[in-house]
Amino acid sequence: MNEARILDRTVPRQQQEWDIKGALNFILGGAGSGLLVAAPFAAMLRADPRPFVALGLVLVAGGLFSVWLKIGRPWRAFHVVRRPSTSWMTREALIAPFLFAAGALGVFSGAPLFILVAALLGALYAYAQARILKANIGISAWRRWSCVALIVVTAVVEGVGIVAFASPFWPSLAPLGFLLAALIVARYIAWTNYIADLRRTGAPKGTLQAFDVFAPRFLILGHAAAAVFALIGAIGHYPAALALGGAFAAVGGALFKYTLVCRAAFTQGFSLPRTPARGRGKPGPGLRPGWEPPQAN
Amino acid sequence: MSAQVNQDKRYVMAIDLRRCVGCQTCTAACKNANATPPGVQWRRVLDIETGEFPDVQRTFMPVGCMHCANPPCMHVCPTTATKLRADGLVTIDYDICIGCANCVMACPYDARSIQHIAKYAYGVPMKSEEARFEPERLGVATKCTFCKDRIDLAAKTGQTPGVDPEVTPACVNSCISDAMHFGDIKDPNSNVSKLLAKTEHFRMHEELGTDPSIYYILDGEEA
Amino acid sequence: MSAADKASGAVTSAKSVPSFCYNCVSGPDFLRVKVENGIATEIGPNFDGDRIHPARGRPCVKAYGLVQKTYNPNRILTPMKRTNPKKGMKEDPGFTPISWDEALDTIAEKLKAIRAKGVIDEAGLPRIAASFGHGGTPSNYMGTLPAFLAAWGPVDYSFGSGQGVKCVHSEHLYGEFWHRAFTVSADTPHTRYNISFGANVEVTGGPTAVIRHADARIRGYKRVQVEPSLTITAACSAEWVPIRPKTDPAFMFALIHVLVREHGVEKLDIPFLRDRTASPYLLAPNGLYLRDPDTSKPLLFDEASGRVVAHDTPDVRPAVAGRHKVARAITVDADAARQEFADVEGRTAYQALVDHMERYTPEWASQICDVPADTIRRIANEYLEAASIGETIEIDGVTLPLRPVAVTLGKSVNNGWGAFECCWARTVLAMLVGALENPGGILGTTVRINKPQENRHMSVKPGDDGFMIQYFNPTGPNSWEAQPTTRNLHRTMVPIVGRNGGWSQALGPTQLAWMFQEETPEGWNWPKPTYPELWFVYRSNPAISFWETRRLAEAAAKFPFMVAFAYTVDETNYMADLLLPEATDLESNQLIRMGQTKYMEHFWDHIGVVLRQKAVEPQGEARDFSWIAAELARRSGLIDGYVAQLNRGISGVSPLKGETYDFALDAQSALDPDKVWDAVCKAATVTLSQGKECHGLDWFKEHGFYAIPQSRLGWYLTPTLEKQGLRYELPYQERLLRLGRELGNRLHENEIHWWDEQLTEYVGLPDWHDVPGRWERALVNAGGSLEEFPFWLLATKSMQYHSGGNAAIALMDEVSENLHGATGVIINDKTAEKLGIGENDRVEVRSHIGATYGRAALVKGVRPDTIVIIGQFDHWATPYIKDTERASLNTIAPMSVELTDATGSGADIVRVAIRRADKAAAA
Repeated sequence: MNEARILDRTVPRQQQEWDIKGALNFILGGAGSGLLVAAPFAAMLRADPRPFVALGLVLVAGGLFSVWLKIGRPWRAFHVVRRPSTSWMTREALIAPFLFAAGALGVFSGAPLFILVAALLGALYAYAQARILKANIGISAWRRWSCVALIVVTAVVEGVGIVAFASPFWPSLAPLGFLLAALIVARYIAWTNYIADLRRTGAPKGTLQAFDVFAPRFLILGHAAAAVFALIGAIGHYPAALALGGAFAAVGGALFKYTLVCRAAFTQGFSLPRTPARGRGKPGPGLRPGWEPPQAN
Repeated sequence: MSAQVNQDKRYVMAIDLRRCVGCQTCTAACKNANATPPGVQWRRVLDIETGEFPDVQRTFMPVGCMHCANPPCMHVCPTTATKLRADGLVTIDYDICIGCANCVMACPYDARSIQHIAKYAYGVPMKSEEARFEPERLGVATKCTFCKDRIDLAAKTGQTPGVDPEVTPACVNSCISDAMHFGDIKDPNSNVSKLLAKTEHFRMHEELGTDPSIYYILDGEEA
Repeated sequence: MSAADKASGAVTSAKSVPSFCYNCVSGPDFLRVKVENGIATEIGPNFDGDRIHPARGRPCVKAYGLVQKTYNPNRILTPMKRTNPKKGMKEDPGFTPISWDEALDTIAEKLKAIRAKGVIDEAGLPRIAASFGHGGTPSNYMGTLPAFLAAWGPVDYSFGSGQGVKCVHSEHLYGEFWHRAFTVSADTPHTRYNISFGANVEVTGGPTAVIRHADARIRGYKRVQVEPSLTITAACSAEWVPIRPKTDPAFMFALIHVLVREHGVEKLDIPFLRDRTASPYLLAPNGLYLRDPDTSKPLLFDEASGRVVAHDTPDVRPAVAGRHKVARAITVDADAARQEFADVEGRTAYQALVDHMERYTPEWASQICDVPADTIRRIANEYLEAASIGETIEIDGVTLPLRPVAVTLGKSVNNGWGAFECCWARTVLAMLVGALENPGGILGTTVRINKPQENRHMSVKPGDDGFMIQYFNPTGPNSWEAQPTTRNLHRTMVPIVGRNGGWSQALGPTQLAWMFQEETPEGWNWPKPTYPELWFVYRSNPAISFWETRRLAEAAAKFPFMVAFAYTVDETNYMADLLLPEATDLESNQLIRMGQTKYMEHFWDHIGVVLRQKAVEPQGEARDFSWIAAELARRSGLIDGYVAQLNRGISGVSPLKGETYDFALDAQSALDPDKVWDAVCKAATVTLSQGKECHGLDWFKEHGFYAIPQSRLGWYLTPTLEKQGLRYELPYQERLLRLGRELGNRLHENEIHWWDEQLTEYVGLPDWHDVPGRWERALVNAGGSLEEFPFWLLATKSMQYHSGGNAAIALMDEVSENLHGATGVIINDKTAEKLGIGENDRVEVRSHIGATYGRAALVKGVRPDTIVIIGQFDHWATPYIKDTERASLNTIAPMSVELTDATGSGADIVRVAIRRADKAAAA
């Protein structure tokens, strides 16, 4: 932002508080929790789920560590648990220890129960992260159920994508390609629904522009290419293709969340229903600067 | 979500946009009263242009924390640092806040900011800045307090916020166009209640369900 | 103890100190300073004054910068002397700290040496000059310095920091001439309709104007802002009319046309025209008043008796309009040349106006102003209707006409070429509906060219021809000042600026002083102007605030010895030999007048005095100005004169000794500022209360101000004229016509022709001439072309900066950025698009004399042919602000005789080109 315009906040602007460190909580946390969700599927396909669970925990921890570095007062971070009644950040923080406990038990004992519990907690964790964003109603791009759906699906895609990436080590994972492809389709639906939601309700121009720039890469590489590779991998038992599909899908998800937090997270800005009449003058029309108006049906 | 506070008082601000001339006296008065560092403005006046030449209008709109009755910042605050008081003030406990910035993004009014390092007007601290430096404000969210200390003083002195300057927010006191008014909207006889009863007004982004406490007057007679 | 207490030490003492802010011409405004542990921490309103001060005790945004101003680490905190003998923008002055003794003794030695030679030099000019900035406001901070200067004797105030080019100059001169109005204001508390030609009153009128206009908006008044850009005031107006720059006279002429030709005299305020103006005076075919051959009194036609009689004949009913036969009369021209007439047809002055305005239709004006004719006609009709001729108002038991319409003028409209026409037309518009100095209309706020400053009514005395007395600089063959006594030639070239000491001088053509130091025009018949041997500068920074500032800075560098009372290093005192740090706003005491003596909308319901109070100890070695002044007087052997001036009341409100009181100072007590101000406080309160109360400095420190009620009847001059049977010298300008001819005779006798164009301004009724064309021709004459410089560049003000001094206050700079364009170069968004200029792009604005750089601010609210820079100053030496790049019109607006009008003023307008700076660099 230009220095001269720092204080001109009439128009929506990209939020500045959560940079890449803040975004990493969602990128790593999403991928990690998705990995926990995906681990039982790996087990079903005769792969050892424990490395996936372990990696999932590392990713979630990495996300939390990253955000811990970002917050203003890291040494009193424990206060984060004080508002379970409404704060999804508190809830995320409360889920985390159980998630780590279940995951660790799963890794060390290999017991499917713990793997399954960790998967459930992973799903919950991803949901909590989505709700953190949704509750931040100052950001139009976040405050919507379509965003929640997209975040959760993206997490699962990332998790399954990472598992798929490991298929060269566990060739038995090949059928996962079908699941990955299906999830990619689901993410595509969630994405198009999300974008349609933005356009239908109106959104800051900057948000739409950021997604306009991002969409082609996301759709071609993160969806089309990823799905094609996943299916080739699944049908033709080509672990390398499946790995590539998984990587594309996972990286696409990560880039989406980076875009969502660091490029498309425009503030609300300000608006006027109409301008005030000065003395005997006439009021003028209102405005919402920097916004793409809601799309007519 | 809605706030679970039974409010017997609710302090609000009523700002007449017909009067405001965008002079930023309130901005500067706020910075004086609250010793905010350079670049941090708990209160500021926006300059908004509408129309096309030659039919152009310009509106000046003071903004800041709207002290919402349903404050999204409080709901997202994981630490309970942000609270809604019984008199309608939304407060931040600097000793609890961890500076997670969730509230910054929950606020649709761009009212909050976090300063991580001390900043001074001329790079080095002046005596006046040293005298008022508050280290507890670093690394935590800060915003307009409705000059909380003055409101609290009213409880002790029996004075009326919005009427008696000692217990009225600095921006309202400073306003040279008399655009800003402050008072208890739960009291039907308060200055703001009377003013709002007679005038046409709106609140910013009401559709987001925040139930904000700043009313913008556009038209109508003054009480 | 809280963390804050631990960090800063607990607050062990706290107090709230009443004071005032007068950092712009709209003061004084009340304020309070919060002082904790001896440190000023916060500024706020002084609500003790909510019923006294029109803005209810509230200062504007600038006052809130005073804490930073006090503790700004860039302050000069010890006396300093220059160590680099070379002066110039590229020469580091090498300022080195010295003691006060050394500094003061150095100056005292200079003063004594000058005194020994004589205070006037071989060129007939004062050897000492002084420059004080911004409309006289420094006098509210300079303590007793005026007593020292008065004790000294002749001082040249010729070197302006902006007066003439930046003030509402023609309004000052013509305003005082027509209705004792140094500045002209709408009677905002009563007005219902205000046509404002660029009067940016919401920015420059201070809190008093802001609150009054806000109240008026709610009340439902209508203000039409006629101005090329959508300024703050335009924004807060009911209607914005984006007129082509400098064509305002055409618009106003068309308004007059509609009133006098489309409506006619029956719809106008006939009693006012008949009894309070010269409308009935009969004009001879030669354009001079027909006069009684015996008494030389102007004649008029009495409708009651059907006879032509002298203007002051009692019990007559003068005819306002028409043509009337006069059997025998004379006219008196320049240098008393008489002409006799017999059986001549005389037309009334009003009739001459009606005839004169025939061609100035709204359709005609529309072409010039780029405003639809319908708009002009509608505004004229609305004005007339709102004037509600016949309506009355009762004020304090007296019934007066209520004429709630006002035409107000802003800077660049009421100074420079075209300003005479605008000032005249505005006053005529008021005259036609009786809105001149009547409730609801236009009012003068104070006088500066006439005396006494504190009461303009007392300056109203009978003069020639049934008008108020005027004190022109003489233009007669023997009385004209044939050799200038000041460097801006004010007595020689500008009759109307008068001869009332410092104010008349300072209102002379100040750019001439700057220009002629370097080069005199062809046909200069006087000794070459000398440099002042000693130049005092305080709160004045002409090296950024005047025009062609780079050239001016180099001119100032040639002055042999400059003493600057300095807050920080700045662009002007960069050339100084000595810097003296004075105790500034919050650090010293001074008592001043308040109410009804000030410039803008400062007609109050009270008059009185207010104390600027020492709230905190001065920083470093900064010293109370009154101490500095006293020491200068003592060390230079002028203490007796200094004390005498103090006792006369020059630095206070009233003489320190009166019939019933005696607080007179002696040479010893005058050295102690507290004793001086204690005496001033006491004398002021005794005088104001007519002996009932007497309060000293300690009382004022607690209470802040002393006020007594003042009737609003004092706001209006017309009743005063009525009491004395006087008329306003309107609409016809016979006297100005004659003055101009006499001045022309004197100049031409001396073979001076470089002022001939200015002589064309002296006319009976002004004609439209191509006012913007003057700037276009000047450009072409300088070798440029209109195609090369296709835009008009204008300047306007922001409340946060207002004058350059505030730009270095970080807080003011920060908050000013909240206003779009306040720190940039304002350009129409469509124009910018065509030029490939985007928001916040670095741009070059170039005139034929140079370029200035800043950031583009794209707006819809400005004419496509106009660029606007809000008062910024292109600082290059002042700490803090020099590190930003702020474009300034002053850098690229030329000084020239060609662009100087007859009053000696110019206007902030110049033809420019604009482009992205990267393109400029590549070119």
